[in-house]
Amino acid sequence: MKLVRALLALGTAALAQALVSRYAPVAARYCDLFTIVVVYYGLTCPPSAAMAMGTGAGLVEDSLVGSILGMNGFKKTLIGYLVGTIGSLFMLNQAVPRFGILFAATVIDPLAEWALSVAMGRSFVFPGTLPILQLGLGNGVLGLLFFWVAARLP
Amino acid sequence: MAILLTERKPYLLLLILLTFHLGLMSSRIRNASERSLLAEGILSLGSPFLKAAGGMGQGVSGTWNAYVGLRGVEKENRRLREQVDALALQANAAAEARQESERLRALLDLRAALPFQSVAARVIARGVDGGARVVTLDRGTGAGVRINQPVITPRGVVGRIFEAAGGASKVQTILDPNVGVAGLIQRTRVQGMIVGDGDRGCRMEYVSELANVEVGDVVVTSGLDQIYPKGYTLGVIAAIGEGEGLTKIIEIRPEVDFRRLEEVLVLLKPEGPPETSAP
Repeated sequence: MKLVRALLALGTAALAQALVSRYAPVAARYCDLFTIVVVYYGLTCPPSAAMAMGTGAGLVEDSLVGSILGMNGFKKTLIGYLVGTIGSLFMLNQAVPRFGILFAATVIDPLAEWALSVAMGRSFVFPGTLPILQLGLGNGVLGLLFFWVAARLP
Repeated sequence: MAILLTERKPYLLLLILLTFHLGLMSSRIRNASERSLLAEGILSLGSPFLKAAGGMGQGVSGTWNAYVGLRGVEKENRRLREQVDALALQANAAAEARQESERLRALLDLRAALPFQSVAARVIARGVDGGARVVTLDRGTGAGVRINQPVITPRGVVGRIFEAAGGASKVQTILDPNVGVAGLIQRTRVQGMIVGDGDRGCRMEYVSELANVEVGDVVVTSGLDQIYPKGYTLGVIAAIGEGEGLTKIIEIRPEVDFRRLEEVLVLLKPEGPPETSAP
């Protein structure tokens, strides 16, 4: 049942992200639904589940975005592990800490990509502070909404 | 082993997964042009979502376009209905004006042919019972209208003025049972008295049983009553029956359609017996 829910969440996020990217490209700059799903699993499930979700979400994102295969999988797995570890150490049931975690996860994403690119000798254009802040805020707000909706699902 | 990986030492799982991803990345970077079943399998993961998004988008945009189109059609339909209503009103007004013009032209022709001065008037009211025994005109003494002046239309006699005020007057039509008009049958010159019979029409009395009378004969005024000039049409004989004694009772269908009476002419003839006959 948990696996079905996870696949459903991942599929919904992928579909929504594809829709937003296609029909509202401007709005797509303010949300990364895969990160939100991974953070949700990190805060509500054991780290292993969060990492598995991170791997799945990253691979699906890779296939959607068309980036180097494994890049997003690496980042999202890392985020899943970090958030899952933090979530297992602290009680993060309130909106503000959750918002902070969502924001931090959003910031980690480009940082991890930058580190990977450097390590692999590939060029990387840092997206800039303002777009990362915008994405962090968007993910924070949408993520809280996602938590609120998910808490009311049967 | 699995429990160890997933619960006690998750960093081991992390290492495995990260290594897997690094391997994927390095293989893709080194052999970008080579095909790999794993890479193709993973890359095809996203295609269903992209197709679904495209399909949903097309469905939504199609539905939206249809909705907008329907709204446009509804709006256009409403506008066209309003236009049709306005045009129907205009057409009705035009038809009304044309009919009125024809009636007035006929009235004008009659007026020009009359040996008397006359004044045109509109019917502004009928009897309260809806009948046409009494009608009210919009012209009165101010226009020269006086009591006992005859009222006619191009089709025939309407009646006589029996009340006249400054701006209006009342006509006692030939349908009123209290009215008597001296008439004669145009073909045989047989004379008699025309009496109103209510909404049914008129009847001709005091006609000899031996008189030559046929259904369809035209009855006109004889002028002997000193009110109506001679020769104006009263109606057509519709039926002939036996009267009291040696007389006939003749039913007359008036030529004037009293229920559709709108414009009339009041003859401003001088007092006294008529000097000339109708045109």
